[in-house]
Amino acid sequence: MSLILQTFAPADGSAWPGEAPPPGAFSQLLSGVWEFLAHTTGAEYLFFFFALLAVICAAVTVSHRNPVVAAVWLVGSFSCVAICYVMLSATFLAALQVLVYAGAMMVLFVFVVMVLDVDERGAANQPSTRKSRRWPYYGAAVVLVTGMTWVLWGTLTRQFHTSGRTIGTGFGTAESVGRELFGPALFAFEGVSLLLLAAVIGAVVVARSRRERVKEAVAAGTSDEGLHVAGLGSADEDPGTPDLTDAEVRQPFPAMDFGQPSAGGHEGGN
Amino acid sequence: MISITAPLYLAFALFIIGMIGVLVRRNVLIMLMSVELMLNGANVALIAFSRLWGNLDGQVFAMFVIAVAAAEAAVGLAIVVSLFRSRASADVDQLTVLRD
Repeated sequence: MSLILQTFAPADGSAWPGEAPPPGAFSQLLSGVWEFLAHTTGAEYLFFFFALLAVICAAVTVSHRNPVVAAVWLVGSFSCVAICYVMLSATFLAALQVLVYAGAMMVLFVFVVMVLDVDERGAANQPSTRKSRRWPYYGAAVVLVTGMTWVLWGTLTRQFHTSGRTIGTGFGTAESVGRELFGPALFAFEGVSLLLLAAVIGAVVVARSRRERVKEAVAAGTSDEGLHVAGLGSADEDPGTPDLTDAEVRQPFPAMDFGQPSAGGHEGGN
Repeated sequence: MISITAPLYLAFALFIIGMIGVLVRRNVLIMLMSVELMLNGANVALIAFSRLWGNLDGQVFAMFVIAVAAAEAAVGLAIVVSLFRSRASADVDQLTVLRD
């Protein structure tokens, strides 16, 4: 709290000109708030409003029970941060933030949550029976938050009180960022394309169901012993035959049994 | 003109909130969203310093961070789908396959 007062108080520690010195901490805080409001421009008000909104949306995201609602609040947080990017003359990145984060990735999140049929507590149909120790995580959270708050608050109240260098009109547009991207950063840009390709292939490989893996192994001519070594069990029945009913398909693969389907008749996975 | 401290405070708050989410929550999906929040906080700091120095390298780096975050979300959600198929749970405390 004293750091806040030091920040907003007049530099030489005196009161306002023509006024009696403030008697206590409360009026000092009031004068600090008044000076803060008097020196705040419209762009700063806009920035503070959306920054506050982004922080509130982020807090709700972290604290909400239902993952779908949390994802929607996350979209709100990302959109507010995109507006803050515009205030920082990063217009191209603001567009990118809305397109990639608030658009594509949130669709992915909501889609996965819907596919998984998660209830409010994150479990499917079974309640959490394991009572595990969580206090190391809470302790780590307290220590890390306290340490980072101490260091960063101490730094930010003393440094970076500047609006930065003078910039031209083209700063942060798609053209200038693109020139940087396809000039000095060209190699990294191509590397990112490789990374995205690897991520897509990895996602497809990891998210395959057991049935698909068995089908592929049988199509590749793997023997029964090979299937057993791969942990896929026996392949006596062809799992890819389309006229099998659901119960018949589930029979040789006990790990596929999810229990009763939900009320909507949703069959998890494939 | 915005003072550079304001976006740095925003980055700080987003990162701290995401870190609390990763450490305290038990739902895998919410933990992934918290990781996205932390990456977003790092992006805000990168763009703020890019504005401070008038140099576009920070914005280019923030774009790479967005790409990495998208790749991480894709693979992470695939792992969640795979885990959910075998364990029917999104609770990290029940994912103890390597330990048991």
